[in-house]
Amino acid sequence: MNPLASLGYIVHRGLRGMVQAPLVQMLAVVTIGVCMLLLGTITLAWANASSIADRWGVDVPITAYLVDEVDPVAIADLVARIDELPGVEGVEVVGPEQTLARLRDGLGDDPELLAGLDADVLPVSLEIHLDAQGAGTPVADALRAEPDVEDVVVAGAWAEHAELLLETLRRIALGAAALVGAACLAIVWSTIRLAVYARRAEIEILRLVGGTGTFVHGPFVIEGLVQGLLGTALAVGLLWIGFDAARPLVAEAFALAFAAGSLRFLTPAEAMALVAFGGVLGVLGSRAAVARYVEV
Amino acid sequence: MAILEFCGVTKVYGSGRERRVALCDVGFVVEEGAMTLLTGPSGAGKSTLLKLVLAIERPEAGTIRVSGRDLDRLRKSSIPYLRRNVGAVFQDFKLLQDASPLENVALALQALGRSRRDVDARARAALAQVELDPSLRRPCRSLSGGEQQRVAIARALVAEPAILLADEPTGNLDPRLTREILDLLQEVRYRGTTVVIATHDPLVHQSLGPSQVLALDDGRLVADSAPRRRTTTLPGHAPARVRPRTLGAFA
Repeated sequence: MNPLASLGYIVHRGLRGMVQAPLVQMLAVVTIGVCMLLLGTITLAWANASSIADRWGVDVPITAYLVDEVDPVAIADLVARIDELPGVEGVEVVGPEQTLARLRDGLGDDPELLAGLDADVLPVSLEIHLDAQGAGTPVADALRAEPDVEDVVVAGAWAEHAELLLETLRRIALGAAALVGAACLAIVWSTIRLAVYARRAEIEILRLVGGTGTFVHGPFVIEGLVQGLLGTALAVGLLWIGFDAARPLVAEAFALAFAAGSLRFLTPAEAMALVAFGGVLGVLGSRAAVARYVEV
Repeated sequence: MAILEFCGVTKVYGSGRERRVALCDVGFVVEEGAMTLLTGPSGAGKSTLLKLVLAIERPEAGTIRVSGRDLDRLRKSSIPYLRRNVGAVFQDFKLLQDASPLENVALALQALGRSRRDVDARARAALAQVELDPSLRRPCRSLSGGEQQRVAIARALVAEPAILLADEPTGNLDPRLTREILDLLQEVRYRGTTVVIATHDPLVHQSLGPSQVLALDDGRLVADSAPRRRTTTLPGHAPARVRPRTLGAFA
């Protein structure tokens, strides 16, 4: 028994089977492609929603503006007290010069708008980064109780609500992905079963000459794998075309949501994972479809 | 030594009003290296009996032993290994119609995991043995019945099985080809393979001079000509040239 020879036969027979029935193969590839396009769209929407939520959660701190002329020792004490509050990840002191520099950076090509502005008129502020969802309100309340704090801006308050909404949407997307995945599996199974049914005589012959289960179903598994990979690659290509066309419209319609960053397509790793998933789906579908015909 | 044993074997198809007894309490022994003819009219149970030996069907009652091993105790995963030891020629040939004769014959060796070079050489030799051109690239569907029959025989023999089962091997052949195929089967037997042929053709009986004839009628074994002691010398035929082939491991 030469395992390599058997593998060579299985791959050869699988590919040859595909060439012999191109219409059935095309049907299977297109069917898988459509299913994976649905799954890819959900994955893409989910990836973007997660990305937005992550940016909001990380980049939007609480800002506390201090009263004028607070002495540095008092600031250091205040920072130490805030640092101890539950949900606080870190506190950054932003001095007037640093604030002015940030303003200049923010104006980009128009720094002359700040000409004549003296850093001394700007207050010292504290930027508080949180490490827990829902910690914003109690931390802000604690800050407002401090005598050296003049004003508190909780920039993440609305973001927390949006994050909760996005989390719900992510769960819905996960459920939808599971449903679409199951539907894909069923469709792939049905399509490959048609191909298997058309070749049941061949399966019977392979069994009669002493072919083992692997020898008999192997070529069909190869077919399923190739169909899954091709179908999903097709889906990723179509998804890219659709994404490219829809990106400006979506970015304009949800300008606020994408203020912190632009829409993104699947990363190469994600795209490859999706294609690999398509391959696995093809293998599982063909394995299930051929199972009843390889019964000895 | 017995290579094939049936003991009280009963096979029933269907149930209720559809119930049909294909074999009823059939028992016999086939010795290693024998040429056994299975005779009887159509529907007597000859094909069913061959399917039982290949474990394509399972009996409702009784025991079947191949080389001493009880098929009823054979695990499903071991059945392919049994079939590698039992070559079969089917009435309807069971060939891949889109494939060439060489590809069909090669299939039996590919199932064994033989190297490509070995598969090619042995498949060509097997086709040459049944007097078919190994370089014939036409698909089997375009071959005549006789040619397809010979491809089926070549495929059954290429892996050198210990037992060859042939279901009506001359059913599709003219008298000249019938003679050639019977000579070939006789040759196979002389090389040590136990041959079991199901046929209702009296010419086969006359030509082969079998060592054993099993007559079936309506699923019952009505005659068994098995000699008490097997001899390798048959009237009018040369003795076996080699020791009978024994089965490889399959259970």
